[in-house]
Amino acid sequence: MTVKTFERGVFLPHYKEFSEGQPISTISLPEEVVIPLHQHTGAPCSALVKAGDEVQAGQKIGESPAFVSACVHASVDGTVVAVEPRPYFTGTTVESVVIKVNPEQKEPRWPERDIASLSPEEIKAAIKEAGIVGMGGAAFPTHVKLSPPRSIDAVIINACECEPFLTCDHRLLVERADALVEGAKLIKRVVGAPKVYFGIERNKPDGIEAVKSIISGEKDMEVVSLEVKYPQGSEKQLIKAVMDREVPPGKLPFDVGVVVQNVSTAIAIYEACRYQKPLIERVLTVTGDGIARPSNLLVRLGTPIGFVIEQCGGFKDAAQVGKIIMGGPMTGWAQTRLDIPVVKGTSGILVFTHSMVVKSEYKACVRCGKCVDHCPMFLYPNYIGMYAETGRYNLAAEWGAMDCFECGVCVYVCPSNRPIVQFVRETKRQIAAARRK
Amino acid sequence: MKVDKELQLTVAPSPHLRSPDTVSGAMRDVIIALLPVTLVSIYWYKWHAIFLVLVCLAAAALTEILFRKVMKKPVTLNDGSAMVTGLLVALCFGPGTAWWTAALATFIGIGVAKELMGGLGWNRFNPALFGRLSVILIVPLFQYVTAAFTGMRPFIGTIDVATQATPLAMMKQGLYSGMPSLGQIFLAHPGGALGETSALALLLGGGYLLYKKHIDWHIPVSIIGTVAVMALLFGKNPLYHILVGGVLLGAIFMATDWVTSPVTPKGKIIFGICIGVLLMLFRLVLAPTEGTAFSILFMNAFVPFIDRLTKRPKFGEVPAAKAKTVATPVQPSVKSS
Repeated sequence: MTVKTFERGVFLPHYKEFSEGQPISTISLPEEVVIPLHQHTGAPCSALVKAGDEVQAGQKIGESPAFVSACVHASVDGTVVAVEPRPYFTGTTVESVVIKVNPEQKEPRWPERDIASLSPEEIKAAIKEAGIVGMGGAAFPTHVKLSPPRSIDAVIINACECEPFLTCDHRLLVERADALVEGAKLIKRVVGAPKVYFGIERNKPDGIEAVKSIISGEKDMEVVSLEVKYPQGSEKQLIKAVMDREVPPGKLPFDVGVVVQNVSTAIAIYEACRYQKPLIERVLTVTGDGIARPSNLLVRLGTPIGFVIEQCGGFKDAAQVGKIIMGGPMTGWAQTRLDIPVVKGTSGILVFTHSMVVKSEYKACVRCGKCVDHCPMFLYPNYIGMYAETGRYNLAAEWGAMDCFECGVCVYVCPSNRPIVQFVRETKRQIAAARRK
Repeated sequence: MKVDKELQLTVAPSPHLRSPDTVSGAMRDVIIALLPVTLVSIYWYKWHAIFLVLVCLAAAALTEILFRKVMKKPVTLNDGSAMVTGLLVALCFGPGTAWWTAALATFIGIGVAKELMGGLGWNRFNPALFGRLSVILIVPLFQYVTAAFTGMRPFIGTIDVATQATPLAMMKQGLYSGMPSLGQIFLAHPGGALGETSALALLLGGGYLLYKKHIDWHIPVSIIGTVAVMALLFGKNPLYHILVGGVLLGAIFMATDWVTSPVTPKGKIIFGICIGVLLMLFRLVLAPTEGTAFSILFMNAFVPFIDRLTKRPKFGEVPAAKAKTVATPVQPSVKSS
């Protein structure tokens, strides 16, 4: 089989061995869950409940009238103890519904229904009602993404999982390929696409086989084996690799007739349609060299990361823990506290020991051009960094800062350890502020 | 959930992984790559070469410390760049060079061309070449104080090789008959600067840098290729022009300097061709020596312009002709079930 990929990017160490062999397991419930009302791109939800209310798992507790938004649900049976701002993984606080978990949980019952007869509109409504967002990390509301203003000729299921360490999508491929394929068919029906591709990096041969065995004989579905290269799982790079189409700057995948959905999202779509089950839990990877038992876990949303870590045997040695990251090591967020809740976009919790923590300070750019060689968007991270550092944001934008999706490749390869992603973020802030004036 | 006060968590923006590449690692590799030619020059010139190299390394370290201290900046000797510059300056001089000349070149290269410009990364010109060329203008001043300086010149024996004119000068004068054979020049031949004593040693070093991915082929190949083409056009032997003088040292070690060369392959090739053309004009029309040094230094000034000129399109920013294929569905015929 030919192995496809995109231009540039970087080969990273995989670090998947910690958890890739661990089957998905379920953990017990914490005493309290925290459901942020704004865990997606778009408008925040307003709470539908108040302190003292009894809620059931799956009950909608937050909603917004805006189209670009995603409703949130109680992930457990319990009592609302507060609706207040709580710390969020990005370092800010977000208005959240805090639920004290009932010791007795009713067995959640999700009514099964026939999905063969669902119309595209019904599928979309079910997705919206379930509060599904892109679960690869971007957390963009899925019903919006599935409402493209033009015809679509391919759906790509993003099963690259190109971030090192993370293995939850890999486990889902192996263990739930049937649900994934059903979800992919639903997505295909919604957007009216003639073809579905499963883009899988070839370091998951068992995942590739699992999907292949289920779609064998179906002409409109195909597994595309991809080179293990970062950022293969970025939408634009994935579309380039699978279909050889380039999404122009400032455009979205639908502009080239493609819709990309992550593995977890596709399975959530299947469950929302088949069982009318809202998005109240997700699979994530707990891993790193500082965790006692690296695992792939099915976790209720709102569970504090500290509780999840405890369920994996805690830290190997708390004194050695140097960094806790939510998400992958290339784009994830370093945490300062353990009461941060797992949200819809949380694909992993990484525990690094001090030896894995980057400590050196950054130096001047030596113009080696490694960032230019590796940038998957063909930008000039060297000039972006130099200009942003000296406050010349217009020039930083001219060399491509606004087209950067912050994959972190330039920082990874930089021999001077320059924080180019930070320079890009600052440029975007400054340019946006200048445009508002 | 209690927040564990025991944890010492580092907060930093993504990404949280780094490649093992560092500036100091790259500088160390450049020194390793320069070792073969340094050793060959020591083989030919004995203590003269060792002395010159040590003087330049010491001058490099002292200059960097002095400028950093005066400007109240942290001393960055451990990045290795001063050592590389010191060694390169030494390799640019012949074995009979007075130590103060080499030391002054190092001082100007590191002090003026690098540190006064803001330190490593901010320099526009290659420090070693800037220093080397500067002393051509300044050294005549020494003649007014020669008496004082001559006494400061240690006697470490006479140079028992290279008493004849350098191959480059002989070539310029048309003395082809007295020139060493091509094979000898390629392997090792005394004559000229320390860094010109063995083409093979330079190529070994270049191969190592290529293997370590610190440089790529574009600049050396375009310089060498241009030199060859120009030599043929003017009816000269291209191999002599490539192997004698500073072409290889310049093409492999000077023009590829990260800080002072363009970043894209296209830019690097333009940069290399321009250097090659200038270099050959120097050799054929103007001065017999230092053509390589001057050409590279001259082109250093054009690097920002070349980068801007060769700015590549962003991902997805396709020319109109290619845009047509993008709009066409790739799999048009497959029917939905």
